[in-house]
Amino acid sequence: MPEDRVILKVDKLVKHFPIYRGVFQRQVGAVHAVDGISFDVRRGETFGLVGESGCGKTTAGRTIIQLYKATSGHIYFNNTDLTTLKGGDMRHMRKSIQMIFQDPYASLNPRMSIADTLNEPMTIHGITRGAQARQRVDELLNLVQLNPGFASRYPHEFSGGQRQRIGIARALALNPELIICDEPISALDVSIQAQIINLLEDLQKQLGLTYLFIAHDLSMVRHISSRVAVMYLGIIVELTTVKELYNNPLHPYTQALLSAVPVPNPVIEEKRQRIILEGDVPSPVNPPSGCRFRTRCPLAKELCAGQVPEWREVSPGHWVACHFV
Amino acid sequence: MINYIIRRLLIIPMLLAGVTVLIFAMLSLLTPFERASLYVSDIPKRQGALELIIEKYGLDDPIPLQYWHWMVGQEDSETGEIKGGVLRGDLGWSKVGKGSVTEVIGRRLPATAELALWASIPMIGIGIWLGVLSAVNHNKLADQILRVFSIVGWSIPTFVFGLLVLMIFYAKLGWFPPERLSDWASQIVQSDSFTRYTQMNTIDALLNLRLDIFFDAVRHLVLPVTTLAYLNWAYMLRVTRSSMLDTLNQDYMTTARSKGLAEKVVVRRHAVPNALIPVVTVAALMMIGLLNGVVITETIFSYPGMGSFLAIAALSLDVVSVLGITLFSSFILVFGNLIADVLYGVIDPRIRLQ
Repeated sequence: MPEDRVILKVDKLVKHFPIYRGVFQRQVGAVHAVDGISFDVRRGETFGLVGESGCGKTTAGRTIIQLYKATSGHIYFNNTDLTTLKGGDMRHMRKSIQMIFQDPYASLNPRMSIADTLNEPMTIHGITRGAQARQRVDELLNLVQLNPGFASRYPHEFSGGQRQRIGIARALALNPELIICDEPISALDVSIQAQIINLLEDLQKQLGLTYLFIAHDLSMVRHISSRVAVMYLGIIVELTTVKELYNNPLHPYTQALLSAVPVPNPVIEEKRQRIILEGDVPSPVNPPSGCRFRTRCPLAKELCAGQVPEWREVSPGHWVACHFV
Repeated sequence: MINYIIRRLLIIPMLLAGVTVLIFAMLSLLTPFERASLYVSDIPKRQGALELIIEKYGLDDPIPLQYWHWMVGQEDSETGEIKGGVLRGDLGWSKVGKGSVTEVIGRRLPATAELALWASIPMIGIGIWLGVLSAVNHNKLADQILRVFSIVGWSIPTFVFGLLVLMIFYAKLGWFPPERLSDWASQIVQSDSFTRYTQMNTIDALLNLRLDIFFDAVRHLVLPVTTLAYLNWAYMLRVTRSSMLDTLNQDYMTTARSKGLAEKVVVRRHAVPNALIPVVTVAALMMIGLLNGVVITETIFSYPGMGSFLAIAALSLDVVSVLGITLFSSFILVFGNLIADVLYGVIDPRIRLQ
């Protein structure tokens, strides 16, 4: 894979949230939300990032777009290191990376009309003005298949699916190259989910967008992604193409996750063996030593507690972190 | 919206009627003798006078009948002319104010309005500003200091704070005197050469191009304004702060930042307008409270407004004055609330008044 196709390179990214306690608010520990993840996203692809709630996938997305300051590590976007950019330069860079948020009800300012919400980023970055801006709003609403006549309405007048389309239009307003979709469909009901996914796919084809798709819905990720990384407790345990991951999952956590996806055929569903994970996700404040998955892993041995498994490429393009693969 | 306003306006007379019944019912707590004694001096020497008064004004009539007479007026037994009656615009004669109640209100209201106007500027302006400042610096030093400042303000009773500043800045330093104007200024104001457009000294002084009188009036306003402002800042600050903190944690703040807006713009354009929605209601109610007169503050600073008059009238058992002023206050309260509700609908598109 030639290097110039890489649009986003995340290198050993770490994000810890400090915990303060006591009268003098001393730091007593940290939530290890993201603990050294590395991956590349290639131009034009959809890169899926999956994991259960609390595994740090949303934090990863927000740190990449610099809504949180990274604790350490680097984020290269088109070969520029975002972690070293300051104020104005970073705001400028935001033009090229946009985010679609999880909750379409909360992520739109209730006091701004749709036209104002869409116009604001364009005005701030000096892209459009006046009549041209008006036209661009219509264009964006058409793009997400909303009636341009809705431009003067307020967010509360729309349904969840329509709001998410507005969220998408807002992200598109600046002509970004990369869009981070932070669980864009998990707050919507199932019939609307498919519409939004299809819209995202159409837009990708039309505009040549790259997506970093954060989700916990494995079948949706399988549908939309070309490559997938599986996160567990702040680290990536397996990364490969979507086909390889679903046909040949290597990490025991990935296997357990996939076995939890229900099969629509009742005959198969009845017979298949599920891997049931025991216990809860350990606290990210004190993650387990060695392999983080060892507390719930059916294969865990003594080795797993003492040694962090190496992150290695077991077959071309298939990376995994486990002692027994 | 128009329908909503009309409907609310139609309810107002009913509300006010209810208020009058309530206040009038409280009259039954006073005996006719207690009420009549206000009009008779030297009671022990003129025994018969009390009975005469009670007879003349029908003070021992049943309360509902007295209410009826107060509302629609009473026929004078000698001339046959109908006198009084709230519905005819006559709130009665105020013994303490030495004039009709309407006249007294007309005389006292401008002073109260002037105080309210000046007090609301620092109260609302600085209160909101400090609240925003406190929320943006959440849990930092500035926030901690402002929180202490506001708790202190909210906890000190008006009469303690008012007397304290009066002692320091008037009794000790002589900087800011009580009342409305100095003697020399009040002579000029009452002379023919000075036109009293609004009866509010500061504004009239500016309109008459008399800067010396303007500054004299301001000098007299400083202490009551400071007292009102400090005690209410605290409340404004806390309301704004909690509303701001809530807004700053909303997802659309993250959206705004991800658009590439600078933090200052995020706060000014996205956070403050949303956070101010509940603040507007509080501010409106505060303004109404001020317009109705602030009894304690006005009394401490001998400020001749509605509040201090109400205090004097109540202490002298001048029932007619108290009734009239209470009715007028309810009127302002009901109207002010309507304005606040309409304003609420204007600033928050999610609220549709129906």
